[in-house]
Amino acid sequence: MEKELNELLENLTKELKECSKEADVLNVKSKYVGKKSRIMEIMSGLKDMSVEDKRKYGSLINNTKKELENTINNYLEDLTNTLDIDFDDTLDYEVNTGSLHPVTIIAKEVTDALKKMGFTIVSGPEMDTEYYNFEALNIPKDHPARDMQDTYYLDNNMLLRTHTSGVQVRAMEKYGAPLRICVPGRVFRNEDLDASHENTFFQLEGMVIDKNISIENLIGVMQELLREVFHKDVKVRLRPGFFPFTEPSYELDCSCLICDGKGCPTCKNSGWIELIPGGMVHPEVLRAGGIDPEVYNGFAFGLGLTRLAMMKYKIKDIRVFNNGDIRYLENFKID
Amino acid sequence: MLISCNKLKTHIKNSDKIDWLHIWDTFTIRTAEVEETKEVGKSFDNVVIAEIKECIEHPDSDHMHILQVDCGEKDLVQVVCGAPNVRVGLKTALIKVGGHIDGMEITARPLRGVTSNGMCCSGKELSISDNHDGILELPTDAPVGMDIKKYLPIEDIIVEIDNKSLTNRPDLWGHYGIAREIAAITGNELLPLDVEEVKNDKKDLDITIKDPKVCYRYCGLKLENITNNKTPLDMQIFLYYVGMRSISLLVDLTNYLMLELGQPMHAFDARVVKSIEVGLAHDGDVYTTLDNVERKLTKDMLMIKNGDKYFGIAGVMGGLDSEILPDTTSVFLESATFNAGSIRKTAVALGLRTEASARYEKSLDPNMTDVALKRLLYLLRQENKDLVIASNLTDVYPTVTKEGHITLHKNILETYMGRVLPDEVVKNILESLDFKVEVKKDTYEVTVPTFRCTKDISIEQDLIEEIARMYGFENFEAKPLKLELSIKEHETVFTEEYKIKNLLATKFDMHEVNSYIWYDTALLKDLNLEVDGIKLMGKNENNILRQDLNLSLLNIVSRNLKNYNSFKIFEIGSIFEGNLTKKRLSIILTDDEKNLEATYNEAKQIAKYLFKVLKHVDVTLVNSKNVDALYDKNISKDILVNDSNYGKILVLNKKYASKIAKKKVIIAIEVDIDKYLELPKENIITKEVSKYPTVNLDYTIILNKDTKYIDLESILKEFKSNLILNYCLVGTYENKYTIRYTLGSQTKTLETKDLQTFKDRFIEHIKNNNLEIME
Repeated sequence: MEKELNELLENLTKELKECSKEADVLNVKSKYVGKKSRIMEIMSGLKDMSVEDKRKYGSLINNTKKELENTINNYLEDLTNTLDIDFDDTLDYEVNTGSLHPVTIIAKEVTDALKKMGFTIVSGPEMDTEYYNFEALNIPKDHPARDMQDTYYLDNNMLLRTHTSGVQVRAMEKYGAPLRICVPGRVFRNEDLDASHENTFFQLEGMVIDKNISIENLIGVMQELLREVFHKDVKVRLRPGFFPFTEPSYELDCSCLICDGKGCPTCKNSGWIELIPGGMVHPEVLRAGGIDPEVYNGFAFGLGLTRLAMMKYKIKDIRVFNNGDIRYLENFKID
Repeated sequence: MLISCNKLKTHIKNSDKIDWLHIWDTFTIRTAEVEETKEVGKSFDNVVIAEIKECIEHPDSDHMHILQVDCGEKDLVQVVCGAPNVRVGLKTALIKVGGHIDGMEITARPLRGVTSNGMCCSGKELSISDNHDGILELPTDAPVGMDIKKYLPIEDIIVEIDNKSLTNRPDLWGHYGIAREIAAITGNELLPLDVEEVKNDKKDLDITIKDPKVCYRYCGLKLENITNNKTPLDMQIFLYYVGMRSISLLVDLTNYLMLELGQPMHAFDARVVKSIEVGLAHDGDVYTTLDNVERKLTKDMLMIKNGDKYFGIAGVMGGLDSEILPDTTSVFLESATFNAGSIRKTAVALGLRTEASARYEKSLDPNMTDVALKRLLYLLRQENKDLVIASNLTDVYPTVTKEGHITLHKNILETYMGRVLPDEVVKNILESLDFKVEVKKDTYEVTVPTFRCTKDISIEQDLIEEIARMYGFENFEAKPLKLELSIKEHETVFTEEYKIKNLLATKFDMHEVNSYIWYDTALLKDLNLEVDGIKLMGKNENNILRQDLNLSLLNIVSRNLKNYNSFKIFEIGSIFEGNLTKKRLSIILTDDEKNLEATYNEAKQIAKYLFKVLKHVDVTLVNSKNVDALYDKNISKDILVNDSNYGKILVLNKKYASKIAKKKVIIAIEVDIDKYLELPKENIITKEVSKYPTVNLDYTIILNKDTKYIDLESILKEFKSNLILNYCLVGTYENKYTIRYTLGSQTKTLETKDLQTFKDRFIEHIKNNNLEIME
């Protein structure tokens, strides 16, 4: 008896699987739980059973009948509420989106990190005066950086800025101290183009002016910044550098991310990449910005955004940045 | 600059305690960047000093000889050699059988039938010179049998220091200065230089400085009876290792002093020197330098004159006639200091950057000139015991450079360092670098040696740098900045630009590009366009700064049309007018000509969307009046917000578009970003929504031949009813325009009669304006 009841359930499930229309299900229903169905036959035979068998099978038979009915009703409900699919639901499509310039993406990341440390973003003009680009930054008249070979001078007595550092004095004049700014921007050097040299590239200037700023604050900000940008602790080293507008000056190298510091053509086999020059703001520069160096001091740094983008996205040829070739640029999905 | 560790060792006491291969990592973080360290002299072994005892011609060769050489063993060794300078009595270098050179083992082997048990070597073969004319010639007193590496300083470590990182350190342009740093870093003692004092009991030389502003000091010394002009081998090897050619003892010594002290020197043939005058040249004069090139001079170039004739370009290069000849036995030695800027400008103007000018550019210490002369005298005396000092050490030194003095405040040092350093630490660091320090209660009174105060040390922050670097950046802790909570944003430009870029790239699938800020000359030529603008000096092409960002993007358009049929690009970049850098957004849409309408409509949509989403304002587009000839004058539109112009929609004139590509339409949207940033974002104010239902009514109006939507719009504007909540164009078919009115009331549900009244009035209004309406 138990076996037969089980078989009834199994057979029902099998037959239901074949049904894709409501009418088919109704046919199966009358076959399994209708008046002339086997289960009804068994139920009507119940009254002829011995007391012992009645006790033994009574509830089992009743439960089986309920289960048969439930199974059919559930299946029927499912069938009527399921979408009728008459199209190919496996078709695939390529997602075409626009793209942001790699420098825009990296500048956003860097400025986001600096913003968390309280920096605000400011800007300055690409065409600037000798005063802001050189003089105010304590770069003397006969300094090599002021040569025609390095700087684009213009016929209106101005020049194309050679660095974003010119914004240091502009920002001090405009906003005073204390100050915590960063300046992403395009800069220009009179260079011949090749795979690693461009005459137009991007830098990010950073500057903090406050009371009692130490070299240790500068190191702190650099480490936080690199950790945010590279999402891991990056090995760095500081070594003495020389810039007229900072004193002391330093060069910050980071372990080459292309070869993990093992040595490769990008890092000229040294394992280190020169990434962020900077230092403590020179008292003359503070004075040029109208800030009293007896009261305030601070630090400044410059980050090569183009170079950082090359490292992060493993771009081999710097010319990709300015030639506008969509085949390259479309890789840079929006973050 | 190349540095020989063997040379450094001679200047430092107990130098063998220093790990010369690895000290350079520390040097990089303390002083200047080391680019490479290379061990030299490792390419061979088993090379000994050997004397040629017998020398006979090889019977089967026209140039080889069979030698019997003594290499300190019991028996003579037979060696076959092809060098022309073999002779009995010559001492040379022999690789013995079993020795190696350049990875090859030397075996006993027959050369044209005669066994050779080793190989005599040239300087080039041993990589200690580029001389391959013959085998090495050693002095007669060289001990036979001795390993050549014990006899000559062949094994060395050669270090390349990045010149750029030395620009601010005139004192590091010679080995002695580098040795001083190494001694300071390792805590060792720097040895004084051996010099020979000059008694000055002779006559002064005739030396005049005419322009003391550019020539700070000139020392001269005349020496006679120099009979040995042969450079010792160890000096030759040193010169070769650091990249100089050995020429003769006198020339080599001047170079040696430059490499040792950083002081460029000159040795003139004393027979031709009459009197020396240092002064500026005359414009237009010409002069032939040592390298036999005729140079055009200007009045800014400092010259050395002999009598009334030019003798050399000061600090850059000597003249053809000032050279030392093989028979020179008396010399006039020059050791001078010139103005750094003047020398640099001269060298740049002549395109002649020499080892000397590179050093003078760094602002050398004038107090080094006489030391260099005395040092050269000492070294020359080693090879010429009988040389005669024929003049006083004549010293023309108009303004003496004195030691500097700086007061370093302890509180400022503490601020910069972020910590308190014990007096002893500060004093030790500065003294190790030859500063003198007097410790006071609140200050250090520091005396700066002249070799540091010509350029890089003038204020107390310079001293802090010295202390910080020697203390070691790696010993600092990283300390976060204190964050103030009242930070306000100074400028919104970057954030707003990013929002625009992000919107264009995500919503409209555009690609952001960067272009050059100057027009491409080739493109202008292709388009046959004449443009004005600010010019880059000294450049003949790509030399006009752009005033139209769209135009400078056309290059990128034509480049991409090779790979794509249609695309949208944009840039936010600068244009240049007068003294001002201005910011513009330029969006370029390009597609097939047949898609003009769709592309044009998309451009309008983009323009409206930009302002609607980011500034919450509606723009109006009106026909543009002043359109540049580059663009189509009929279809271009101004983008207005409250009647003020914020930009344009421009279609490239067919004439120019066809030059970029055939049958393409190129549409530009330009926005004045400076003005856009000033435009305040409209506040969002919630509108009350009626609780009564609204009704939509669609009317299709048939336009006449000459009317456009803009005309219909003004007609619609005139139609007033307080039931109108909103109306808009929902579709067009040919000249049939369907307008949908949304009607409603705040106070009641609209009834049929309300709608009928509205309808009747509207139809009448349209008809009164001579348009047909489909009922």
